Amino acid sequence: MEKLYIEPTKGTPEINFDPAQNLLILKGQSYPENAFKFYEPIFHWVDAYLEEVKEEVTIEINLPYINTSSSKCLMMLLDKFDEAYNQGKKITLNWYYDEENESELECAEEFQEDLTIPFNLFLVQED
Amino acid sequence: MIEKKLLELQSLMHGEGILINFSGRFSQGIIEELGEAVKNHMQADNRPKNDIYNVFAIFIEQTQNIKNYCASKESCSCYGKILNSGIVSIGKNEQGYFICSGNLVDNNDILALTQQLDKVKSLDKDGLKKLYKEQMKKGISIDDRGAGLGLIDMARKASTPPQYSVTPLDVQFSFFTLKVMV
Repeated sequence: MEKLYIEPTKGTPEINFDPAQNLLILKGQSYPENAFKFYEPIFHWVDAYLEEVKEEVTIEINLPYINTSSSKCLMMLLDKFDEAYNQGKKITLNWYYDEENESELECAEEFQEDLTIPFNLFLVQED
Repeated sequence: MIEKKLLELQSLMHGEGILINFSGRFSQGIIEELGEAVKNHMQADNRPKNDIYNVFAIFIEQTQNIKNYCASKESCSCYGKILNSGIVSIGKNEQGYFICSGNLVDNNDILALTQQLDKVKSLDKDGLKKLYKEQMKKGISIDDRGAGLGLIDMARKASTPPQYSVTPLDVQFSFFTLKVMV
């Protein structure tokens, strides 16, 4: 399976989904003009990936800012992993947040409330 | 004379504590640039990160709401008029930071908008969270420009309930404003 890499812009996060390492990284700000249009190809990639993956998968998320329509897309994305986890796939989600940005932690915790996959919260020290 | 008017405009902005103001057509590029400018301004002012991101988030939701509303009127003969009617101001007064925006809204859309806002204004923190989660569970498709979460999210991040005003202009339009404090 091909790696999925999308370069970050001001309004879209870096997407670095590497099937060779089973490491899926989402990093940056997300407030595109049309969130669904941005996330749709990512949904498709993840659907195909979850079909074939056998090994343990790690998702790493670090989103200092995410607008509401991106939040909805991210929920849809994480629901896919949740469903796969409930069907027996090994998946861990590591969410990195900045201590000084309360809304970032609150956002992460609200995702955590609605998911069953192992979900770890990590503090990152910003410069 | 424009020179004189500029001075008047500047005094008006200073008087209201407006730091950044934009009037005209909101493109994604303009929204990104203004958003970064707001962040930089507040960082230079040594504001807590939490305030910076709340102001930034409310600014993004307000401007993207206006942009999405304009897009929903693309087939309307008055599209151009709506497209250029947006204005947003970010400023600071004794109560804190404010993000205030305005745009033309079709009179037929006013009721649904004000009902949604009245509902959001009436809810407390827990009520807003519950409504947010309900709305979050609804599906989204490529035709949905927004997620229907913006107003709820702004109310959750605000220090006081959002305030709105509607000024009827003619049979077709009203000027709608929304002010959110952080």
